[in-house]
Amino acid sequence: MDRRQFLKQSTLASSLFFVPSFIKAFENVSASSLGYKRLVIIQLSGGNDGLNTIIPFHNDDYYRNRPKIAIQKKEAIKVTDELGFHPNLRPLKKLYDEGYLTIINNVGYPNPNRSHFRATDIWQTGSSAEQYLKTGWIGRYLDSYGKKPYNAIEIDDSLSLVLKGEHINGIATTNPAVLFRTSQDPYFKNVLNYYQDEHLSEHNLGYLYKTMISAESSAKYIFEKYKTTSNTQTYPNNGFAHQLKTSAKLINSGIETKVFYASLNGFDTHAGQVNSQARLLKIYAESIEAFVRDLKQQGTFDDTLIVTFSEFGRRVKQNAANGTDHGAANNLFIIGNQLKKPGFYNELASLSDLDDNGDLKYTVDFRSVYATILDRWLAVQDDAILNASFPKLKFV
Amino acid sequence: MKQRHVQHLFWRAGFGIRPKQLNTVSQKSKEQVVDMLFKASSSATPLKVDTSEIDHFSTAYILKNKTQLPEFRKISREKLKTYNVAWVNRLVTSKETLREKMTLFWANHFVCRDEHIYHVQQYNNTLRNHALGHFGDFVKAISKEAAMLKFLNNKQNRKQKPNENFARELMELFTLGEGHYTEEDIKESARAFTGYNNNFEGDFMLRRFHHDYDFKTFFGHSGRYDGDDIIDIILKQKQCARFVCGKIYRYFVNDTINEKRVEELTNIFFEDYNIERLMRYLFMSDWFYEEANIGIKIKSPIEFLVGLRKTVPVTFKKEKDVFKIQKLLGQMLLNPPNVAGWKGGKSWIDSNTLMLRLKLPSIILANAEISLREKGEFEDTFDKYRSNKKKNEFVSVEVDWETFNYQFKNVKVNDLKTLLIIPELSAGTETYLQTLSQSSKQDYCVQLMSLPEYQMC
Repeated sequence: MDRRQFLKQSTLASSLFFVPSFIKAFENVSASSLGYKRLVIIQLSGGNDGLNTIIPFHNDDYYRNRPKIAIQKKEAIKVTDELGFHPNLRPLKKLYDEGYLTIINNVGYPNPNRSHFRATDIWQTGSSAEQYLKTGWIGRYLDSYGKKPYNAIEIDDSLSLVLKGEHINGIATTNPAVLFRTSQDPYFKNVLNYYQDEHLSEHNLGYLYKTMISAESSAKYIFEKYKTTSNTQTYPNNGFAHQLKTSAKLINSGIETKVFYASLNGFDTHAGQVNSQARLLKIYAESIEAFVRDLKQQGTFDDTLIVTFSEFGRRVKQNAANGTDHGAANNLFIIGNQLKKPGFYNELASLSDLDDNGDLKYTVDFRSVYATILDRWLAVQDDAILNASFPKLKFV
Repeated sequence: MKQRHVQHLFWRAGFGIRPKQLNTVSQKSKEQVVDMLFKASSSATPLKVDTSEIDHFSTAYILKNKTQLPEFRKISREKLKTYNVAWVNRLVTSKETLREKMTLFWANHFVCRDEHIYHVQQYNNTLRNHALGHFGDFVKAISKEAAMLKFLNNKQNRKQKPNENFARELMELFTLGEGHYTEEDIKESARAFTGYNNNFEGDFMLRRFHHDYDFKTFFGHSGRYDGDDIIDIILKQKQCARFVCGKIYRYFVNDTINEKRVEELTNIFFEDYNIERLMRYLFMSDWFYEEANIGIKIKSPIEFLVGLRKTVPVTFKKEKDVFKIQKLLGQMLLNPPNVAGWKGGKSWIDSNTLMLRLKLPSIILANAEISLREKGEFEDTFDKYRSNKKKNEFVSVEVDWETFNYQFKNVKVNDLKTLLIIPELSAGTETYLQTLSQSSKQDYCVQLMSLPEYQMC
């Protein structure tokens, strides 16, 4: 470390009164400056039925396989000769019309896994079906390019694997004020005040103290940023919208957070799918609409990319309970206003040439999507993070 | 035996030790203590929950009443929750300490998840029965367990269409470790496990028409092998003993492997694959008690919770609070993240889990308040009134301070820390603690449990 850098860091550190200076080594980059790219990842948990989300309303196989649950041609919001949106996705159709939405069809991977847990693991770690990785793909991004837990925030009570790295983890919070209060317990502050940094080392106890210190400073930093801004839009009143509302507040505050992670649960529609999925898609679309508007209003939409995925799609053929079982390849949404190919990125795979389980075959590997985001959006070395090189796509 | 060594032994072979037992045990020799530990675990008490409302379900019954299956599944899932709570309670109260600790270890070695209560129960008790037995018998039993047959798709493994999932994990995660077998070994051994299946009750069945009776070539041997033969051949590889001993070392001794020690264990284990003999050797060895191995492991969430409840008994009024805590801390029993299990060590800790861990003792034991009263300060009765009045929102518990008071009656306040904290306290923290009033053992207990040092064992 040269002298200038050292001085810069110690001045910074002194403002955070009890934090040992040497672990406060973050760059003095202003996040509010233009071009600070952020990524928002949304997981539709449970396995969203992509075929009833983006409807192939011209496809006889679709209607033949789903006599009771298919979305009728007249109901679908048509956007091409072949495909249309679910009727409750009108807000998404608006984004589509404005050129803010790219839909990538048939995203998946070889030998797809149909267990929620395992498939979520695969998506979150960016592994193959045969690999068990213990760090998330964003966690590994943090390992190489992150400095502080708040560089990646999950809007939840606990942290998912996706944000866990080998050396650094993201941080989770549903409510920055609560997180802050927890971290500010006077007893902990006293313990840290008395703590002598020369004992900090890489061994386990040192690691605990370090984590405690960075948790405290992260919680404080997040809350301070959170306080400074407000939302410009009215959001729907539900948990998912609230996650996005919190994310928007943080993004608009200029926080140095590269990645946000949110999720909407309940897509495991084995029975009575039509109503439950419709309700969830409405929640999704309306919340996203408010979120995008909020960002646009405050000028942060240009630098935000929103990715929505689900751990798997669902079987083409409906089941006896008017639902669908776990499937494989699925569509994925990219939202932003720097898109290279708005609209449909590729064609929907065949509904007659299915895999052995009767599921859609993938044509785009999800790690190609990750690689593209890492390389083209976050401008980092994708192959080092994904442990392999995947062909890039041209959506951003 | 030195008191510190007894504490170390009981933390690694169990979930800590209470003051009264510590007093008696410390009078004995190492050999006597280790003997005692094994003797207490010579029996295996099965863990069961009441399933009477679904006990009429059987293979025959299901055949006639297929429509009732969803109802069975629903009740079964509820029973799993009860089983989870029963397991945690077992860890707190069992006298078969070492056996229970080993069961927990094996549950993260032969990782499995299932929703069928009979199968889960049977699997869990198989882990318990073999926990200190012969490793070969153990692996063979696991390969025939209903829950495992389902979890790693061996039910779908048929002569006409082999499924390699179980064979692969058997070698990669259960016996040899990555890189010590070939793809060909997987293909051939998968054939030996074809036709393995089970009925609704969870009994093992070999479906003869699905079993491949032909020759298989595996690790240079050829024969009409079945699964047991394959496991016998695997056991002949010293790498198998080495792989298991490496895991034992990391779990019971130190996250950081010491090759020499592991090789020492391997030589013992390879002789007869007797788990009890291996563990006895480990706990008798001098190096197990070296300072470098004491108080340096980060407790798993379960070790943390169970240890706390051993010191201060707690009854959770709502089952769901027990899950909530496990979930937020990142270790829910019966719900491993994937077939590779929990990684352990530092991976338990992130900003969120650490904050919760530090806060949890006060949440559970003291209405979320950690006393800050300094030496010489008068007790503020209004403070006390307020903290007693405050509704506990996060969890609903009944705290048994009486048992704590009884156990710690003859303990001086200042000695509490040697009983509750295993690693050396950092100097600054020690200084801070000295500024605090030590008039209440209970307050001091909560303060100690709220330190990062309490997370270590």
